[in-house]
Amino acid sequence: MIKREICERVLARAASTGADYAELFVENTLNHAVNMVADKVNAITDAVISGAGVRVFKGLRSVTASTVDLSEEGLLRCASSAASALGEGKAEIEISLTERLFGDVHPVRIVPSSVPNKRKIAILKEGYFAARDYDPAIRQVTGSLLSFDHNILIATSEGLYAEDRQIRTRLVIQAVAEKNGETQTGGCRPGRRMGLEMFDGLIDPRETGIHAARQALVMAGAGYCPAGVMPVAIGNGFGGVIFHEACGHSLEASSVAYGMSEFTGKLGQKIANEKVTAIDDGTIPNAWGSINIDDEGTPARKNVLIENGVLKSYMIDKMGARRMHMDPTGSARKQSYSFTTTSRMTNTYIANGTDRNEDILSSIEYGLYAKEMGGGSVNPATGEFNFAVQEGYLIRDGKVAEPVRGASLVGKGSDVIQKIDMVGTDLDMGQGMCGSSSGSIPTNVGQPMIRVSSITVGGR
Amino acid sequence: MDFQEFKKAVIAASEEYGVADYEIYYASEESTSVGIFRHEVNRFESGLSGGVSYRAIVNGRMGYASTERLEADEAQRLVRCAADNALNLETDEKEFLVEGGRIYRTPEKKPFVPPTSEELLEKALAGQEALYAADPLVIDGCETEAGSFRRTVSIVNSRGLDLSHTVENAVLVSAAVVSDGKEMQDAYEIKTGILRDISETELAGKAAAAAKSKLGAAVAPTGSYPVVFAPKAFSSLLSTFSPVFSAESVRRGLSRLKDSEGKEIASSAVTLVDDPFYPESPAPMPFDAEGTPAHTKKVVEKGVLQTLLYNLKTAAAMGKETTGNASRASYASSVEIRPFTFYLAPGEFSEEELLLKAGEGVYIDFLGGLHAGANPISGDFSLQSAGFMIRDGKKAEAVKSFTVAGNFFDLLRGITAVSDKVEYRGMGSVTTFASPSVLVEGLTVAGK
Repeated sequence: MIKREICERVLARAASTGADYAELFVENTLNHAVNMVADKVNAITDAVISGAGVRVFKGLRSVTASTVDLSEEGLLRCASSAASALGEGKAEIEISLTERLFGDVHPVRIVPSSVPNKRKIAILKEGYFAARDYDPAIRQVTGSLLSFDHNILIATSEGLYAEDRQIRTRLVIQAVAEKNGETQTGGCRPGRRMGLEMFDGLIDPRETGIHAARQALVMAGAGYCPAGVMPVAIGNGFGGVIFHEACGHSLEASSVAYGMSEFTGKLGQKIANEKVTAIDDGTIPNAWGSINIDDEGTPARKNVLIENGVLKSYMIDKMGARRMHMDPTGSARKQSYSFTTTSRMTNTYIANGTDRNEDILSSIEYGLYAKEMGGGSVNPATGEFNFAVQEGYLIRDGKVAEPVRGASLVGKGSDVIQKIDMVGTDLDMGQGMCGSSSGSIPTNVGQPMIRVSSITVGGR
Repeated sequence: MDFQEFKKAVIAASEEYGVADYEIYYASEESTSVGIFRHEVNRFESGLSGGVSYRAIVNGRMGYASTERLEADEAQRLVRCAADNALNLETDEKEFLVEGGRIYRTPEKKPFVPPTSEELLEKALAGQEALYAADPLVIDGCETEAGSFRRTVSIVNSRGLDLSHTVENAVLVSAAVVSDGKEMQDAYEIKTGILRDISETELAGKAAAAAKSKLGAAVAPTGSYPVVFAPKAFSSLLSTFSPVFSAESVRRGLSRLKDSEGKEIASSAVTLVDDPFYPESPAPMPFDAEGTPAHTKKVVEKGVLQTLLYNLKTAAAMGKETTGNASRASYASSVEIRPFTFYLAPGEFSEEELLLKAGEGVYIDFLGGLHAGANPISGDFSLQSAGFMIRDGKKAEAVKSFTVAGNFFDLLRGITAVSDKVEYRGMGSVTTFASPSVLVEGLTVAGK
C-alpha cells in the first residue's frame, strides 16, 4: 500500500522528537452490504475506508495522529503532528524496515468484491425467503449480506514492515413474528473470516433464515420471564457471551494495566470454578475473530486465560505491556486507522468440560434455560455485567418447559465465574461485534452448555 | 485532492456515465484530545477524517457508494458503483432529491476559538488535580480528558442544492474512581463548551460524588415498585426506543405505533419534542441529511402522538410531508430517519416532589446493556440498573446489580409525573436525547 522507503521516512519523522517507539498503520478497506426488507432488495452500499494512523511512545506516554491523506506529504504532516505533541527532543532511535511475511492461515477462495451483486442477492434471498415463508405469523423479515475486505499495513520502529488482508463475510437475518397482537423478534448472524465460499457447504442461508423465524415464533408465544435469583443453564455457541462480558473484558490490559479491573494482580490465583478453562485464540483458521497479526504487528496466538480455574494470562497490547512489564499477546486491535489501538479479544471461549447436557438440565429443579443469548456489556472496574436472553425456557423438575421472553442476567464477573459449576462437551462459537474504546471489531464468543448455580434473572 | 476538486471530478464522472440525478454528501472532522492519568499526559490524539457519499437515481432507484480516498480514479469508481447498485434494487418507492433555493434558519452561534494543544493540556491537567482534590477516597485510575472538534457537512446535488454547515466545540471529561478499601466504583461527567468557562472543580466534584454515592451499594430486593428515573437514565431509554417514532419502522411493522397518529399513546404528562436548534446543543443543524430545512416539532403532546418522524421517501410512500428527519448514521450510511435533539418536555414538579409521590420505591440513575436488553420492535426491556431505594419519599441507601423490566409502550402510559428540569448531556452528535426526572408506576425490579 505504501512503499517501505516512504514508511521509513514517516517513522523517522514521527520519532524525530525523542520517541522510543514509532508505528505507522495504513488501511484500505472495502465494505459492501446488500439489504432487504419487505421482500425486496432496498439498499446496496459500497464504502471505501482509507487512511493512516501514526503512533509514538515515550515511556508511558502515547501520542496518536490520524489522517485520510495518504500522500507522502500527508503522512509526513501526520507524523510531524505526533512528534510535536510528544515534546521537544532529539531522535533517539534509528529506523530500518525489513519486510516480513506472516503467511495467511485463513484461505479465501471467493473474494467478495470480485463477485457481481446478482450472486450476492441470490444468496441473501435464499436466507430471506426461508424466514419469510416459515409461518404465516412471520410479519416482517430484514436481511443483510455483508462483505468486508480490510487491508492493513503495519510498519514499526522495531523494524517490522508487514501487510495483512482480512476478508470477512456475514449473513444477517432477522424475523418478526406476531401472535395475539404481541410482536417478538428472532435472529441469526453467522460470519466467518472467509469469502463467499462460506455458503458452499459450511453455512446454508436457508438454515439461517429458518433459525431466525423459528426463534421469533417461539418467543411470540412466550409469557414474561419471572424475576428472581435461580440456577441457569446457558446453551452453547453465542452463550459464551457470558464469559466475554463477565470476565473477558476485565482481562484486557486496557483495564488491568490501569488497576481498573477486579482481576488486577491475580495471576496464578484461583479466580474461577475449577471446571472453567477459558481461551482466547486468534489463530483458529477462518474463524470470525481470527487475525494473522494484530494491529501492532504482533502475530496472533492462542492464549490460555484461565486453566482449571487458575488465572494464567491477560490479553496485552504494547502500551499495556509497558505498564505491566509483560509481553504483548497478539491482542492489539482496532476498528479502523482513526482509533487508538488497545487490547481486545479475538475468539474467546470456555473449553469443553465433561458434563452431559441432559445432566446439566436435569440437575435444575426450577430455573432458566438460556438457549440463546443476546448481547451484553460490563464495567470492568466493578465487574458488574448484564446480558440479554434471546431465547429462554423455564426449567421445571429438570425438564425444559415453556418459553419465556424478556429475560436478562446481571451479576458481578468475579462472582459468576466461581458459580459456573457444570461444563458440557458441545463447544461451539457464535459471532458478534464487540464495542470498546478502539471501536467495533469482529469477535467470536463460545462455550459448551454450562450451568451457573445461581444468578439474578431480570424479568417481570 | 481536496473536496472541492473531488466534487468536480465526481460531477464530471456523472456526466460521463449519463447519471443526471445525484447527490454528493461530504462529512469531515478534525479533532484533538489530551488524556491525563496519574497526573501525567498518557495520551494525545489528533485526527483528520472525511469521506464522500455519492448517491444517484438510476432507473428510478437510489444507489449508494462512498469513499475516503479522494482521487480522480475513485470519483469514476464511485459513480459506476452507485449506478450498478441502483440497477440491482427492487424497491417501488419514489426517490427524491431536494431542490436548491430553500430557506434555512441559521442556528445561533456563540463565538468559538478552538483551543490550542497547550490549552487542552492545561485544562486536562487542572481537571485531574481537581479530581484528586475532590475527595479523599479518589484513587489512581482517574482519567481526565480535554478535547476539541470541528465537523463539517456539505450536501451538493444535481438539482441546485449546495449546503454546508460547520459545528465546533470543546469538551472536558472527568472520570472519577473511588475506593473505600473494600470496593471500587467509578462515574464520569462531561461538559461541552468554551473550555475556560467550564469549571473543572465543579465537574470533578460531581463525578467524585456520584462514584462515592455508589460505594457499599446492596442488591435491591425483588418486587414491583414505583420507579423514579434520573434524567440520564430516562434519556438512555428514549435513545434506545426512539426508532419506534420513525415512520419507516412503523411502515415496516417494526414499531407498534401503526395507525397511531392523532391517538393517545402516553399519559398526559408526556410531551416529546424534537428540536434541531435545542439551546444547549453544541451541534444545532439547519438541515437534515437530505437537505430539507430542519424545524422543531412536537412528536407527542400531552400523551397524543402528533406526528411520526419522516424523510422524503417514507413521507411520499405514506402520503405525508417530510418532517425533515432524514439522517445518516455516518456519511457512508444510507438515508434513514432519526430525531435531532429529542427530549421529554419538563413538568411542574421538583425531583424531590417526585420522590415524595413515589413514597416507597426505587430511584434509577444508571441503565446498562441497552443495546441488548431492550427491543424497540416489541417494546420489551429488562435492564441492568443501579441507583437508590426510595424510603419515606426520600433517596435512601444505594442499590445495584438489579434489573428493571417492562414494556416501553406501557411505560409511556404509566408515567405519572415529570420533573421541571431537563438535563442535557449531548457531546456534539446531531442526534441526542434529554429528559427531566420521570416517575413511573409499577415496574418490576429483580434483585435478591
